Amino acid sequence: MNEDKTKILTADKKVVTFEEFFAGDRETHKQQAKLPFEEKIRILITLQNLAVNWGGKKDVIVWKM
Amino acid sequence: MKKTIEIINELKANGHFKEYAIGGAIAALKWTEPFFTRDLDVFIIPEGDVDERQVIVLSSIYEYLKGKGYDAWTGQWLIIEGTPVEFIPAVGVAEEAVANAVETTFEGVKTRVMSPEYLIALFLKASRDKDKMKVRLLLDQAVINTQRLRAILTKYDLVEKYERFGQ
Repeated sequence: MNEDKTKILTADKKVVTFEEFFAGDRETHKQQAKLPFEEKIRILITLQNLAVNWGGKKDVIVWKM
Repeated sequence: MKKTIEIINELKANGHFKEYAIGGAIAALKWTEPFFTRDLDVFIIPEGDVDERQVIVLSSIYEYLKGKGYDAWTGQWLIIEGTPVEFIPAVGVAEEAVANAVETTFEGVKTRVMSPEYLIALFLKASRDKDKMKVRLLLDQAVINTQRLRAILTKYDLVEKYERFGQ
């Protein structure tokens, strides 16, 4: 498979190159940086829950809001 | 975390330290996308509890918290309302970072968070792999005042580290 020629059909039905796909990914990360502080802490708590329940990291303490 | 911040504010109100700011990963996360971390780093400017050997004494903080029932530790972190917290005396660039921290709120509770420019300087100073990851995130996602960043890096002799980092 050639990355330069192969294209991807995205969830919103756009056909994009790998380069465009990853540029969109970077933009999503930047958008996430703009979330309210509280929302980011909620996501962190979800990540801590995942670390304990899915990752088996029993030493991780799951915070409370 | 709201109750944890309330307790930290209470410590300040009761004169256990002059000023504080959230630093480390949680401060970085204020300016970047969310990422995993375990603990809350609270940088404090001590109220003057420096003994004759120039040792910063944090015992009054821990005694006060113990009196309120917070005496469970995990490693170097004290658990306050379910959050592992480390109090770190702020000296040098960290002290300036606390003095110039950004006032914000969390669930309606006032708190202070280090700005991205000072965080970059502190992470560069530490320069562990996880610190470098945070510098990358901040440079990529946070709104950086480049003039302020350059001034901080120059003052604390971190320009070379910063320029090496970009290569």
